[in-house]
Amino acid sequence: MVKKQLPLLLGSIAGILVVADLFVPQGWLAATSDRLFEWGQILAAAALVLGGINLMQVNYPKIRRREEDWPYKVVLLVSAAAMFLVGIPWHEIGGARSPGEVVVERGGAAGQAMLRIEAARPDAVVKIDGGAVPIDGKMIGRASRDGHPLEIALAPGKHKVQVAMTASGYGVLDAEFDVAAGQVAVAHAALPMDWGKEGRVRTWAYDHVFSPCNATMFALLAFFIASAAFRAFRARNTEAALLLGAAIIVLLGRAPIGTLINRNLPDITNWIIDWPNNAGRRAIIMGAALGAIVTGLRVLLGMERQHVGGE
Amino acid sequence: MALEKSVKPPRSLGERLQGFDRRWIFLAMGLAIVIPLLAPLNLPFKPSPMVKALYDTIDSLKEGDVAYLSVDLDPASTPELEPFFRAVVLHLKRKNVKIAIGSTWYAAPPLIERWIRDAVEPQQAFAGQDGYEGKPDRPYEKNVDYTWLGFREGKEAVINRLGSDLRGNYSGRAADGTPLDRIPFMKGKNRLGDFDLVILVSAGSPGAKEFVQQVQTRYNIPMVASVTSVMTTDLTPYYQAKQLLGLAGGMLASAEYEQLVGKPGLGAKAADVLSVGHLVVILAILFGNIIFFTTRPGGARWLRRRFRGGRRR
Repeated sequence: MVKKQLPLLLGSIAGILVVADLFVPQGWLAATSDRLFEWGQILAAAALVLGGINLMQVNYPKIRRREEDWPYKVVLLVSAAAMFLVGIPWHEIGGARSPGEVVVERGGAAGQAMLRIEAARPDAVVKIDGGAVPIDGKMIGRASRDGHPLEIALAPGKHKVQVAMTASGYGVLDAEFDVAAGQVAVAHAALPMDWGKEGRVRTWAYDHVFSPCNATMFALLAFFIASAAFRAFRARNTEAALLLGAAIIVLLGRAPIGTLINRNLPDITNWIIDWPNNAGRRAIIMGAALGAIVTGLRVLLGMERQHVGGE
Repeated sequence: MALEKSVKPPRSLGERLQGFDRRWIFLAMGLAIVIPLLAPLNLPFKPSPMVKALYDTIDSLKEGDVAYLSVDLDPASTPELEPFFRAVVLHLKRKNVKIAIGSTWYAAPPLIERWIRDAVEPQQAFAGQDGYEGKPDRPYEKNVDYTWLGFREGKEAVINRLGSDLRGNYSGRAADGTPLDRIPFMKGKNRLGDFDLVILVSAGSPGAKEFVQQVQTRYNIPMVASVTSVMTTDLTPYYQAKQLLGLAGGMLASAEYEQLVGKPGLGAKAADVLSVGHLVVILAILFGNIIFFTTRPGGARWLRRRFRGGRRR
């Protein structure tokens, strides 16, 4: 009763309230519906924790029993653990480190105000007054010049300096200072490496592991489609021939070469997409919507029980 | 016996074609992608009506308007959608439209943060730069001209909640922790319907389709979308029904939008790849059909009859 009937009852009540909000303009109903969506978001986030536990429960026994492909499961768990660890903002534990500061000192050429950059990382880049003060003729310059700290003459007065690494995941020195003639403003840029979701290691893993793998999987589609076009796209009968003809027209019309072959091809392509395609899509959308309504009603009425482990 | 083994009957053309190694197609496709990138063809193209409608919708925004930009994608779809993102941001910045950026995809934030650093914060277009004849844009300042709201888990539930309580969805703060009350242009922006336009850059689900289904119809929100090629046919019914005021589908549409904005970039370069790549697929289809017709029983005869106008028995 508690394991199956209660979740069904709760699901039905929540579903009916949300559906009713779409049709009944009552304030309390809208507020309840919003609250249910908020809970849904919290539950979705909490499911991530369950997912992590489930990942361990499924994969660890297989590794222990040395089942087929167990080394891949080791890679999976180690990668997951590594990403979890580098996602923690370790640098904030015990207080975040300062990215640096600007100190104004006496010195420099008489009648001139100077800015000197002393960056902890020689490949850091510098922007003065948002790029308004050029460094070697450019908006952005390097923090070191020929192995020495960058020194640049400024007009006396208030200025803003930004020192950052081109790669993300480091602290940024972004400070305003007031320098007078005969003074030197020294920007000590510590640029500490950050951890956490915007940290260097996680960003590096995203850029150099996740991103290329993800893009590669999608890019392979070009080759699979070409191969599938060669092996499977046959004009076996009139319907298949029509489909093939439409596909070739759309392929040509949706690329600049189509205009080169015939300037009417893009218009023919647009017609195919706007009329026959849309007619078909609408039929599919309507069919799927009717199916979703029926499934929704079955869930609300407790007739659909698969999601609570029923038949 | 040995003689019998060594003498094989000659293979017909059809049989030889049937044994065609498809790795040649992979090679052709590889070359079709690489060569146009190294030696651009610069083939001309004109904007399609859907992209023109998208451009006109954004162009009708006024200075000081606020657009909500939902970027729902992952690295796999960047070749198709990054050119659009850069072009639309330039278009919005030229018109001095404020931008609130959010995402419902967990893999998107690092990409979006980089694009913000590359395209939103600095000036993108200067007068006279590489033949650029449009109006220059200006650097955008965080939480003054734009804000990055971050990612929220919950997929369609998040989209639904954006329609009714955007501030609640983002806990009243931008991704960097700045309270939304302290961002001047976010004043009075409590739900998606309060924005002047919602711009969707989507690579799948949840994305443009879910935004239309969950919030556009219910709150009558003006919306435009840029999606991947494979999603285009899913969304054209919504464009025809005016639920989407403009639609850019795929790489060519991104290139068309760049052309309309007047600053051809990544999309324009990739348009040539699309031309040659599509040609390779068409040739593969034709080649496959030639093999099919020449190798099926009576295929050659059937072909001859077809092309000479003979009747099938």
